[in-house]
Amino acid sequence: MSFLACYGLLPGARYHQRMTSTPSLHGRLTRAGRVVRLWFLQWWQLVHLGAVILVLALSPSSYSPGSRLLLGRHLYLNTAPILPGFSVLCALMTVVLTRIVLVTALSYGLSQYALQVVIRVLVLELIPLSAALFVALRCTIPDGAELMAMQASGELDELRRQGVDPLRREVLPRVVAGLFSGVTLAALSCVVALVVAYVATYGFALSGLAAYTRLFGQVFSPAVTLIFVLKTLFFCLAVSLIPMASALYGVNGRQGSSIRTSAEMRGLVRMFAVILLIEVASLVGNYY
Amino acid sequence: MSSPQAPLPPPFAPDPQPAPALLAPDSVAYLEFKARLLLLFMLALVLGSALYVLYARGAFESTQRLVLVADDSEGVVVGMDMTFSGFPIGRVQRVELAPDGKARIVMDVAAKDAHWLRTSSVFTLVRGLVGAPTLRAYSGLLNDPPLPDGAVRTVLQGDASAEIPQVVFAAKALIDNLNGLTGGNGAVSSTISNLQRLTYRLNGPGGALTVLLGSEAEAKKFTLTLERTNTLLARLDGLALKADTQVFGKQGVMPETRASVMQLNTLLGEARTSLKKVDAILADAKVVSANAKDASTDLNVLRAEVEASLRKIESLVTEINRKWPFARDAEMKLP
Repeated sequence: MSFLACYGLLPGARYHQRMTSTPSLHGRLTRAGRVVRLWFLQWWQLVHLGAVILVLALSPSSYSPGSRLLLGRHLYLNTAPILPGFSVLCALMTVVLTRIVLVTALSYGLSQYALQVVIRVLVLELIPLSAALFVALRCTIPDGAELMAMQASGELDELRRQGVDPLRREVLPRVVAGLFSGVTLAALSCVVALVVAYVATYGFALSGLAAYTRLFGQVFSPAVTLIFVLKTLFFCLAVSLIPMASALYGVNGRQGSSIRTSAEMRGLVRMFAVILLIEVASLVGNYY
Repeated sequence: MSSPQAPLPPPFAPDPQPAPALLAPDSVAYLEFKARLLLLFMLALVLGSALYVLYARGAFESTQRLVLVADDSEGVVVGMDMTFSGFPIGRVQRVELAPDGKARIVMDVAAKDAHWLRTSSVFTLVRGLVGAPTLRAYSGLLNDPPLPDGAVRTVLQGDASAEIPQVVFAAKALIDNLNGLTGGNGAVSSTISNLQRLTYRLNGPGGALTVLLGSEAEAKKFTLTLERTNTLLARLDGLALKADTQVFGKQGVMPETRASVMQLNTLLGEARTSLKKVDAILADAKVVSANAKDASTDLNVLRAEVEASLRKIESLVTEINRKWPFARDAEMKLP
């Protein structure tokens, strides 16, 4: 972290030497340098936290019996309550969108492309995004707030004083639970959407299954499948990690009663920006 | 590089409302079992989805290789279907450029559908105006030997969009022809002027007859002919009236003929009566002849009886002569 500090300090010093005759410009440049430094610092903290969490998640030592119980609790509480509701919501959305696309395609004489459009729009694009946002709103942002409360109350410092790593004890289960919840929601919703789209198109008959499977196979080429899997994983990682990072590092250097709100807002904005970037990258990968 | 704990801020004042999950860590019954169940469910879901994708991509079906050679593989993408009678039987596995500059479309045909492809099968690559091109297989003779594995066939190409320039050129020529026809010296213009002249003559004296016969004089001749024909018809009408009177009038031919026929009928009736009488006479004659026949039979019997009686008389006379004294000595005396 020291090189970043240097990266933040050096430009200010250089400007201070050169711009002594124009104090207002110097002040602006100093502020700009500070903002850039802060921006880099925050992103680096995020990346660093992600790397540490990943290492911890892949370390067998993180799954001691006590940790497993805690992790299981987070997994269950973050996933099970929202699973049925999201599946039903997804089924409803699929029915509506499938009907709209089918009727529109039929009116234009392009009905052979309707199901492909439904699979591409729903399964490839909408469901991973909506699952990630749903998990963020229902689980990881409240988890981040919880962590922030613990941070503010000094509970994490207390743990550290007791020799317990707060990252391993409090952050890792929440991040893994968010990741798990996002992946489970996305997978189940994709299956539900595929089944509902099939039923909405062919009715309750198995006669169209072969054609539907073939169409599905045509959409899910290896490249598209890889992008879909990576996109879903990165969505889940983003919505799990960024609220935690905002909770851990967001209150740094702020004063007053608006500290917490400001940190949460910045975390949300950062999370949506990352999700947008991932979505754009996946679209570029799929269609260019 | 500092540790992740380093940037953690100093503790703040305690939050007056801590999250409820922290206060009740073990509020869910059988938490570990449920968490394991959820984990297993997620793993099954992900594995099942992966298997379904592999199945849909044809990873588990045995295939047969087929190479189609095309002049242009534009629009052909990996994973595209080849259809037979509208049913997908194979998919494009790879598209590559051959050393001779042609495109080689390497396909995997499902083994269970490979029997539809024969050595005489024809393969086409058709590009429509909308959508991706389609690969189709046609097998006219299903009794031919099956297509061997790794067969190389040339694909016939049809491109609807390639026809557009030709269609535009033909349409342009057509429009030019139309312009020529409808121009100032065109056929349509002269036809219309002829039609105009025709209309003028139709409206003039003589009307359509002038148009048909060529001149007004001819039309007048035709009118005169018609008038004379009318007169002739009137005379014919009178003639027919007279003939009617002579034939069908009171003193006409027909009533007399009818009377003659009636008389003939009467004569025929009388002749029929006479014939009946003759018939009765003939019957009587028949009876008479039958009686005569019977009489002749009786005469024969009578004759026989008469003859018998005469013989008896003769024999009696002979007897009397023999017995009678005056009878001559019948004995012969020999000297």
